[in-house]
Amino acid sequence: MPAILRQNLAFILLLAIGIAAAVATYALRGEAAFRHALESAGSTFVFILPSIVGGLLLAGALKQLVPAGALAKWMGAEAGVRGLVIATLAGMATPGGPMAAFPLVLVLAQAGADRGALVAFIFAWSLNGFQRLLIYEVPLLGTEFTLMRVLLTLPMPILAGWLSRLIPIRWQPPA
Amino acid sequence: MSATQGLLWLLALIALGLCLKRSVSMAIRAGRDGAHSLVRVLPLFTVALPMAAFLAELVPADIAEGYLGPESGLRGILIASVAGGFIPGGPFVSFPLVLTFTKAGAGVPQMAALVTGWAIYGFHRVIAWEVPVLGWRFVAIRMLAGLALPVLTGLGVSWLLPWFPGALVRP
Repeated sequence: MPAILRQNLAFILLLAIGIAAAVATYALRGEAAFRHALESAGSTFVFILPSIVGGLLLAGALKQLVPAGALAKWMGAEAGVRGLVIATLAGMATPGGPMAAFPLVLVLAQAGADRGALVAFIFAWSLNGFQRLLIYEVPLLGTEFTLMRVLLTLPMPILAGWLSRLIPIRWQPPA
Repeated sequence: MSATQGLLWLLALIALGLCLKRSVSMAIRAGRDGAHSLVRVLPLFTVALPMAAFLAELVPADIAEGYLGPESGLRGILIASVAGGFIPGGPFVSFPLVLTFTKAGAGVPQMAALVTGWAIYGFHRVIAWEVPVLGWRFVAIRMLAGLALPVLTGLGVSWLLPWFPGALVRP
């Protein structure tokens, strides 16, 4: 499925759930609740808009400063805890959704990164990818919540990567 | 504009300045990349925020309060971790939902577990991306390695919360 279709799929799905929820709100909770929901959505939008634009600009600039080609070279076939740390940093630096991250994981696997590095990379990207933190979590949930959650989860990809090396399931990277 | 937003803009301008120092075309690429993402993200926000607001009107307050409230403890953290895994779609769905649940009375550790469960388990991502690209065996290894992380995050947040009194406080 091409990336554009995936994006539109998300939009269509959200729109469908939103319309169903709007109809249900009007029918079950009345016109006042319907109006209240629209007003609350509008004020949230206005409140987070400056953060969205600022976050996107920062993400766009960082993307230029940290070239994607550097990631595989830095990780390479390195094992040990050092490889896990590098994989974690690379995962956090990887912008974009799964359509960007998973093809990169495959490239890393074929470049000789071990399962621990791949697990650390995926967890660092999904838990604490800088783009998601800047564009979504800080604007929507606030700095304090984001900071607390990031502080706690920062070492987790390294821990999980180390654990994954001990799990006795055989796996070969796809050729 | 809040202090956080000011800081974000300051960082963005510094990073843009670093790009500009390398070359003008790099700064233009950075700006174009940002604008491109904005065009992609804004439509999602314009449907996701009303959706979350309507759901907030529909979710009875006592459900979020009872099952996911601050008093729900470890049980609430467990429920939130698993529920997080089933949230479909990207951050434009998960984070507005957290706001919705928070307004309806959910606790901060439970919401941290929800976000982590969504990030670690994310079943929709496993089916759409991870299995086709890396195979079931790899998914099994990754899931086993990360199984406890959402619950650990929830417990850790309950412990850290006194030092972060402003976390998820709604105006």
